[in-house]
Amino acid sequence: MGKESKVLIKLFGFLDVTGEVVTMWIILGLIAVISLIVKCSLKERPGRFQNMIETAVESLDNFFTGNLGKPKGRKYFPFLATLFVFIVLSNYSGLVPGVGLTDYVKAPTACLSVTAALGIITFIFLQTSGIRHNVRHYFKHFISPIAVMLPLLLLDEFIKPASLALRLYGNVFGEETVTEELYHIMPIGAPVIMMVLSLLFCALQAIVFTMLVSIYLDEVTETE
Amino acid sequence: MTTGIIAIAAAIAIAISTLGPAIAQGITAKTAMESIARQPDAAKDIRSTLIISLALMEALTIYGLLIAFMLISKI
Repeated sequence: MGKESKVLIKLFGFLDVTGEVVTMWIILGLIAVISLIVKCSLKERPGRFQNMIETAVESLDNFFTGNLGKPKGRKYFPFLATLFVFIVLSNYSGLVPGVGLTDYVKAPTACLSVTAALGIITFIFLQTSGIRHNVRHYFKHFISPIAVMLPLLLLDEFIKPASLALRLYGNVFGEETVTEELYHIMPIGAPVIMMVLSLLFCALQAIVFTMLVSIYLDEVTETE
Repeated sequence: MTTGIIAIAAAIAIAISTLGPAIAQGITAKTAMESIARQPDAAKDIRSTLIISLALMEALTIYGLLIAFMLISKI
C-alpha cells in the first residue's frame, strides 16, 4: 500500500533507516531535550517555559482522568501521554516546510509501518494490562454474555488496533496527498488552505487515537 | 482500457464510501447540537462522545480512501 520508502542507510546491515525513522529520531531528541531542560530547571515559582509545560501536562492529566477515572488515569498516564505527545509531534512534523519533499525527512505517521507499530504496541499494552488487572475478568469477558460470542470478541481484539492504525495512517497520508496535489495545481497559496485544516486535524487525530485507546483500556480493566 | 477502468473504480470507491458516513456524521452532529442546546451542562460529555462517534464513522471513509489509493497505485 502506498509507495515504498527509500532506504537511506542500513544500520548493522539489516535495519533499514528510512526518512520516517530519521524524523522520528529528531522528534524523540526534541522530546528528550525539552524534558531534560524542564526537569533540570524546576523551580518553586515557575517561569514562562515551565508554566507552559505544566499547563500541557495538567490538561493531558485532566483529559485521561476524565476518561478513565482518577486512580486508573494516573496509573496509565505515562503510556497514554507518551503516545499522545509522540503522535501530535509526528503529525505536526508534516507541516514543517520541506518535510515530505525529500527522502530524508518525512512525517512518520504518513507511513503505514509506523502507525501499524503504534497499533501493535497498543494491542500488547491492552492485553497485558487486562491480564495484570484481573485474569479472571479478562478471560471471562470473551465469553460474556454468551459463549457463542467468543469468535467475534476474539476478532474484535485484533480489529481494534488495526482500525486505529489504518485511521491514523489514512488521515495523515490523505492530508499530505491533498496538500501535494494542491501544490501541483498552484505552488503559492493553494496548499495553505489544506495546511490550515491540517493544523486542526493533526491534533484531532492524536486526541481520537488516545481517547479510543483509553476507552478500550477502560473496557479491559473494568472493576466488577 | 484497463487503466481507465481502474481509475473509474478508484473514483467510485471513494465516492460511495463518502456518502454513507457523510449522512451519518450529519445526523450525529445535528443530534449532538440539539442536545447541547437543550442541556448546556452536559456539553462536555456530549462533545467527547461526539468526537469518538465521528471518528468511528470516519474510519469507514478512510477504508474507502485507502482502497482508492491502492487502486491508483496499480495504474
